[in-house]
Amino acid sequence: MQDATISADDFQRFREYFYRRSGIQFEPSKRYFVDKRLAERIRATGCNGFRDYFAKLRFETSGAEWQALVNEMTVNETYFMREDYQFECLIQSMLPELMAHKRPGEPLRIWVMPSSSGEEAYTIAMFLLERWPHLAERDVEIVSSDIDTRILAQAQAGLYSQRAVHQLPASWLQKYFTREAGGWRICKMLRDAVAFTRVNLNDAAEVAAYRGFDVVFCRNLLIYFDDASRRQAAESFFDVLRPGGFICLGHSESMSRISSLFRIRKFPQAIVYQKPLEGL
Amino acid sequence: MPLIRHEPAVLADRPRASDDLAALSAGLSALAPAERRAAAHALGAWAQSAPALLGALDKETEQSVRSALLGALARVGSEEAVAGLADCLRSEDAWLRNAAIEELRAMPEQVAGVIAHLLADWDRDVRILAVGILDTLRHERVEEWLLQLIDADADVNVCGAALDVLAEVATARAEAPVAALLERFADEPYIAFTGKLVLGRLAREL
Repeated sequence: MQDATISADDFQRFREYFYRRSGIQFEPSKRYFVDKRLAERIRATGCNGFRDYFAKLRFETSGAEWQALVNEMTVNETYFMREDYQFECLIQSMLPELMAHKRPGEPLRIWVMPSSSGEEAYTIAMFLLERWPHLAERDVEIVSSDIDTRILAQAQAGLYSQRAVHQLPASWLQKYFTREAGGWRICKMLRDAVAFTRVNLNDAAEVAAYRGFDVVFCRNLLIYFDDASRRQAAESFFDVLRPGGFICLGHSESMSRISSLFRIRKFPQAIVYQKPLEGL
Repeated sequence: MPLIRHEPAVLADRPRASDDLAALSAGLSALAPAERRAAAHALGAWAQSAPALLGALDKETEQSVRSALLGALARVGSEEAVAGLADCLRSEDAWLRNAAIEELRAMPEQVAGVIAHLLADWDRDVRILAVGILDTLRHERVEEWLLQLIDADADVNVCGAALDVLAEVATARAEAPVAALLERFADEPYIAFTGKLVLGRLAREL
């Protein structure tokens, strides 16, 4: 019989390690959440209690259990306007800087990776339409990519549940969506405006087709990568971006923990990372 | 319509895939850093590219290219590449030392072949940096290497660094070696503090 009890010492030891590896901090108030998932993993792996499990987690060369645990400990969901402070940051801080260096007629290019079911790319499009006065004089390309072709097909179809749209302003919902039997369908104009493409971020040859972007949104993806793949992804993003371009990560992710290629930019709305202007 | 759509085929020209090791190695000396980075990335897929990558790392001054060279060496992962990364621990350049450590931490199988030498290096700083590799290395022998180190190393800073890592990974078998270390460095407050912390945790777990 496995003892899956997690003591206060165990919790402390685990949360320090988890923070160091992932950047995700569990406050003591999350103890129940953490204990429950740890106990589940202890049972699932057949380990003999926390110490046995922690050793497996800490030393397993393949990193498979680490990945399984990260999947359990993170919330994998997306919806319109999620972490919208970054879109505010795009409009109010990043775009004015980018525009200062753009030649007339040169399009602004934004890459969303991973696309998932499209909520993030469409949210950016709506933000630009509603909040960025310079859209009238500047072409914008939004490319939204994912490794999963099924989720891309879903994104292109643009049909969303009530839960996915719950944070949208009512006026935007009314303007850009129509109510259907299966939920809310985003309008054709927006579906036509975003290019959904399949790409494997770990395949340098595939990513090499993506160059010259001004802003990359890569939120809540790198947490699922191992250290080497994360660094490889940072290298890829460096090449994807123009000098001076920005990359936005999820709230629990930090580029500083992955690579020193980018500069930290602390804007009033959000912390983002920038490819140095003089870089390449 | 200001929001315009471009299909992937026209996003950018796909770079030509070179299948020539010599041509790629020559690319490491290209004038444009972007070309040198591209060459380094491509060479990461060539098992025999370690000498070219290490030669370039020796001369390269642009940090983004150095970063690509280190990543490529890690992907190559050959004995020569790992030895080259380990050699970076001797560099005067703190960025290079730290970047090499990050790469080595993600290569547990390969590091296992060189870590004993690094932990026994004549240079105390190299030994401390080698402990830094073990800090997040996923390998079942991490505790064993650390215990051997605190048993044999006469330097208090090296032992202190090892004790730091042991604070997280120590199991019951660490009890006697940590107690012996405490005795050996009885006058060193840091060793006393961390050592007692480790022993306290082990006692609660037993």
